[in-house]
Amino acid sequence: MKEKPKVYALSTCPYCKRTKRFLEDHKIAYDCTDVDLLDDAEQDKILEKIEKMTGKRSFPVVIIGEEIIVGHDEDRLRKALRL
Amino acid sequence: MNGKQLERVYCPVCQAKFRFVEGWKEGSMVICPICGQKLRLNRSSDGWVGDRPEKGTEKEIRERVDEYARLHGYVFKDMKEELIQGLLGKNRRFKDFYCPCRMEHVPEYMCPCKPTRGGDVERDGKCYCGLFWKKA
Repeated sequence: MKEKPKVYALSTCPYCKRTKRFLEDHKIAYDCTDVDLLDDAEQDKILEKIEKMTGKRSFPVVIIGEEIIVGHDEDRLRKALRL
Repeated sequence: MNGKQLERVYCPVCQAKFRFVEGWKEGSMVICPICGQKLRLNRSSDGWVGDRPEKGTEKEIRERVDEYARLHGYVFKDMKEELIQGLLGKNRRFKDFYCPCRMEHVPEYMCPCKPTRGGDVERDGKCYCGLFWKKA
């Protein structure tokens, strides 16, 4: 894999936690941003980016190469990561 | 028409008013029929207001979600405990029990959130975060 998967999450969201746990369980190194913990300016910037990519403000968002996965979806994660 | 004005109680969680029941008095403990919050009645200059006797405690949110589910005949699934932990996390960081799966920390997203109270569970079979589920 060229780039590490990127995860946008909320620190309190259990589905986001499951996605992070899934990646960790499969020894996948990833970058993660807990969007709710960012300062306002940074948060606006990231939310705009997420809305542009996914059309909504729903978490988690996982970016694996060209693939964008919204919500905790182990089947799609497996497929995108070729597990 | 007897001219007697119908008295109502304001709930600070769902920010709505519900009907005052005869026999209630200052200090009575009641359950908000809209959101399930336990309230202590307090007579203010604007009328009856419910105070949150256990504001911000784990007991408060657990009782509220259980009452709300009971009032509507909703059920919980295996994510319940994780979602409760998420609600507690929201309260620690953002000072109230906002939906753990939403970005916005505004009163209408206090659990049970306004879309849930507006019929999301009836329509979609569950609320936004999957805490409350329609009985199968």
